[in-house]
Formats: sequence, C-alpha cells, structure tokens
Amino acid sequence: MANGDANIDLLFRNGLKDFEVLPPVGVWAKILPAIRKKQRPYVMLRAAAVAAVIISVSVLAYKWSTEINISLQDQNIAVNDKSANIQDTRSVQKISGRRPARSVANSIKEVQAQMLPEESPVPSPDNQTDQDMDHGSLESGNLPSLESILGIRRAVIPGMTSGNQYSGTSGNSYSGLKGTPFDQPKDKYPKWSISALVSPTYYLKPELDNSIISKQISSSEQSRISYSGGVSFAYKISRKLSIQSGLYYSTIGNEINGINSFSGFRSYDYTKGDHNFEVLTSNGLIYTNNSDVFLMDQAGDRVLTKYTNDVFDPAKAQLSYVDNTLYQNFSYLEMPVFLRYKLIDRTIGFNVIGGLSYNLLVNNTVNAHISGNNFSVGKTAGLNPFMVTSSFGMGMEYNISDKISLNLEPTFRYYLNPFSMIQGPKTHPYSFGIFSGLSYKF
Amino acid sequence: MPEIINIIKGCLAGNRRDQELLYRRHAAKLYAVCLQYSGNDEEARDILQEGFIKIFDNLIHYKNEGSFEGWMRRIVVNTALEKFRNSHNLYRVDDIDHIPEPDADPENEDYSGLEAVDLLEIIRELPPKYRMVFNLFAIEGYSHREISDMINISEGTSKSNLSRARTILQKKVKLYTGVKKVING
Repeated sequence: MANGDANIDLLFRNGLKDFEVLPPVGVWAKILPAIRKKQRPYVMLRAAAVAAVIISVSVLAYKWSTEINISLQDQNIAVNDKSANIQDTRSVQKISGRRPARSVANSIKEVQAQMLPEESPVPSPDNQTDQDMDHGSLESGNLPSLESILGIRRAVIPGMTSGNQYSGTSGNSYSGLKGTPFDQPKDKYPKWSISALVSPTYYLKPELDNSIISKQISSSEQSRISYSGGVSFAYKISRKLSIQSGLYYSTIGNEINGINSFSGFRSYDYTKGDHNFEVLTSNGLIYTNNSDVFLMDQAGDRVLTKYTNDVFDPAKAQLSYVDNTLYQNFSYLEMPVFLRYKLIDRTIGFNVIGGLSYNLLVNNTVNAHISGNNFSVGKTAGLNPFMVTSSFGMGMEYNISDKISLNLEPTFRYYLNPFSMIQGPKTHPYSFGIFSGLSYKF
Repeated sequence: MPEIINIIKGCLAGNRRDQELLYRRHAAKLYAVCLQYSGNDEEARDILQEGFIKIFDNLIHYKNEGSFEGWMRRIVVNTALEKFRNSHNLYRVDDIDHIPEPDADPENEDYSGLEAVDLLEIIRELPPKYRMVFNLFAIEGYSHREISDMINISEGTSKSNLSRARTILQKKVKLYTGVKKVING
C-alpha cells in the first residue's frame, strides 16, 4: 500500500509539473492598479526627499549669505563711539572743509541738493539746524538724519545710545553721520542662485588612426543623443563674476552596428572563462557577461572569441537572433566647477562660462534590443572610473523677474582623459549640448 | 529575450513593461497552481491576483538565490494557504463520511491515459482540507509537522486527511482511466 501511495503521489506530482493554464483575461488589468498604487507613495517620498534636500540647502545657503552680509556691514561701521566720531569728523571735514559743527548742516544741504529733486517732499531743516547747533542742543528729532533722507538703512552700533543724539560737549560730532551715509550706497544684488538645468548632448569622437580596424570601428559606430541634467549653485564673487558648482547626472550612449547577437548559446558554452566574447570599440573592449549570448561580426574582426565562424555556426545551432547592433551606455555623476563672467547684464543677459567637471562612472552596460526590450550583453571593460572634462560655453539669461531667470547655455565639452584605461583605441571625445533651465536668485 | 534578472530590475524600477512581461511569462504556470489549490475558477483567479501583487511587493526581497519560479510558486501557495485559513471554518472537515477502499492494488494500475488536465480535474474534486493536505504533502513536499502548523491541525489529522485524499484520488483516477479507455476504444 505504501508503494501505492507513492505511486499516486508521483502520478500527480509529475503529471501536474510544468502544467500551464492561461489565466482569464482581465487579471492583469486588476493587478496593475494595485501595484501602481503601492509604488506611488515611494515616488512621492522620493520627490519629497529631493525637494526637502533642495529647500534645506537653499535655506542654509541663504542664512549663510545673510550672515556674511551682516558681518561685512559690521566691519565697515566703526565699532565704538570714539572711532565713529573721528571717522565722522574726518568725513565731514573732507567734504566741507569748514568747522565740523557748521559743516554738518551744510553737508546735509549739499547732499540733499545732489540726491533729491527740488520738489522733494522731505522737509528742509535749514534754519532750525543752524540755530540749534549754535545753541549746542540739537536733538535728532529736529534734524532728519541723512540716512532717512537718502533712504539708507542704518545699522546699530554696539555701545552707542539709541537715537541720533548730538552731543553738544563733544562739539563737532554728529553721531547720525557715522560712516556709511557719506559712502556711496552699497550695491545690493543677490549673491546666490540655484539652477535646475537639463541638456540633450551630442557626443563626437575624433578620427582614430588609419588602420583598417580603426576605420571599421569609426565607420560602424555612432553616438546616441545623451542627456545631462541636475542642480547647480552659483555664488557671485562680484557683479560680473560668479563661481558655480552642483551635481549633474549624465548619460552617454554609443551604437555599434554590424555585430549580430544571438541568444540560446548557454547550452553550447563549455568554456570556463569569465567571458566568451570581446568586442573592440572606440570606447574600449566590451566583455560579455551573459553566457547565453553569442556575438558575430557581420564583416570584420571586431569580435574576439574562440567561437569563430569556422568553429560554431549560430544558424546550425538554431540560436535565436536578437539584434545587429550593440548599445553601450555609460552614466556619470558630474560635479562641475565653473566660472561665469557676465558680458551683458540686462533683461536678456549674456555670460561666458568655463571650467572643469569631475565625472564619476556609476553605470556601465552593453545591451542589444529585442522587441523593444533590453537584452543584456555585458559591459565595457577597463573604463576610466573618473573622468575630467573641460567645458566652455555661452549663456543666455532672460530675467523673468528680479529673482527668477530662464537660462539657455550652449556648451562645448572636451574629455581630458580617455574613456578607456586598457589597451585598445583611446579617444578623447567631445560633446556639444544646450543646457536649459530656470535659476532662482537669493 | 531579456533575462529574468533584467526584468526583475525593471520591475523594481517601476517599469510597467517589465511588470507586464513578468506576468505574461509566468501567469499560466502559476494559474495552474492556483487551480490545483482551489475548488472553483473564481477562487483560483483571486489567488493568482493576490499572489502576483505579493510577488511585485516582495520582489525587493528576492535574493537571486535559487529558482525565481520556485520563489514565485511559494508565494502563490502561501496565498492559497492564507485564503484557506481565512475560510476553513466554512469548509466541512469531512465532506465524505464513508470513503470506499480502492478495488484493486494501485501498484499495478495503468494511469498512462490520464493527462494533466484530468489530474487537475480530479484533484479539484477533493474536499478542501484533503486537497490542501495532499497538495502540501505530495506536490510541495512538506512534512506532516509543517502542514499541521500551516493549517492549524494536528499531525494525526494531517496524516488521516492525506490517507483519505489518496484513497479518493485512487478511486477517481481508476474511474477516469476506465472512462478514457472506453471513450478511446
């Protein structure tokens, strides 16, 4: 009976093994919304995280720039009464060349005459000022300060009494006239800006040497439109010059034509090596890491393998044809350090941009395509994991408002080190891209 | 044809095309499993649907160790088990009071005329608890101890259910074989 039990068990186990029944139509339509719904929070969380990082960095940068401005202002202003008085006196003497007490009022008049239109509604303190000064009891309430006349914000000096008090005993100093009022009004412009830029990029490679294989490589390869995009920050060193950095993600694609790929080779692969095929490209050697793939050069010697045409025929082995093109894909994380010089600063401004970018290789794949899907072939071996590129570009900036501008930056880029570190053709590609995006100044 | 690892990566990245490709590739085999564990088509469809949602939810935990198909099958079987546990109070433990002994020695029976679709039909005619125990023991290879934990019954009950399931199956198999032989002449 025990054998009979095993027999019935085996009958069902083997009989139902690999049995397939097509599911009813519409099941997938019910599964899809459920998995999409669950994925959405992750996408939202990711977007929220990115937004949070950008906002945090922006706020920190803003606070930092504000603190720098305040500390610079404080340094410009005298730190105590005495020095402030001396500075004021000198300033006044320098301007008027008369007795300081008298010259204050005259200086005010002079500045008023220079800075304000004649029909200015600001009341003139002329007579009263002279009279009060003669009595040595001028109160700040009677005399509008130069700061208020000129519309300049006054910083508070530590240790100084509040209000613009004129001390009759000190005779020749008017504390309201400290430092800054007689300086030219400071240029106030946003020091920082954050930009989000994206660019389609077209890569070009210089001609290789004149050998037959090099010519074959050059003629069979073509760059694919690649993309670069990211976030950058810029700090204005001066009104014209700014330094810019950030983080970009860029992709580079290359098509290698005339290499036939087949699937189903795994059952014929008896070698123990880590790869069966190598393909010579201008970016280095492709090593296959999919043991199921079989590669064959349609006409040439770019594929290096033990399974040459005279040893193995994919047609006789009935391998499935996949594609006649290989697609190399590289992705880099890029950190640019650029200098930007403003040539024209108007509603539509023009910049010259130049600098270096440091690129870290983060993705390296080689695929063939079948029915719109990727068929993994391998990767490009010996790629330089760290690339340095030099960039030069012209930037056009359209100021939508004081804070926001639209940017268009045609940029030329040259790779200072070659893609490949190992033996084979070494190329220094160059690329051309047009970055476009928005900038926010703060 | 894209390798399964690339499809998994695509699914993890939220690529709809890869998600559909994964479903299209494996749905038929997994639906057969669902039918094997369920008494009707509607229940089988629900198990497949819930099973696939769990597969997509848990893809990130798949360690690429062992067969991916086996991993998916386990998820579907667990889904069927869960459904069974939730509704097992509704099932009568013994739908058949008297189980007739098989007429002949099963060792000498010739079952070669039976096809997979017949076997599926026969297994689905079993009462739910017998079907579950038989599937878990004979097809999936679990022990009675494991089965007792899975569906909250004693080991003795598991053995008894299996024995009854086998007896019914043997009888039905014989019946089906006889009918087939008559039909085929």
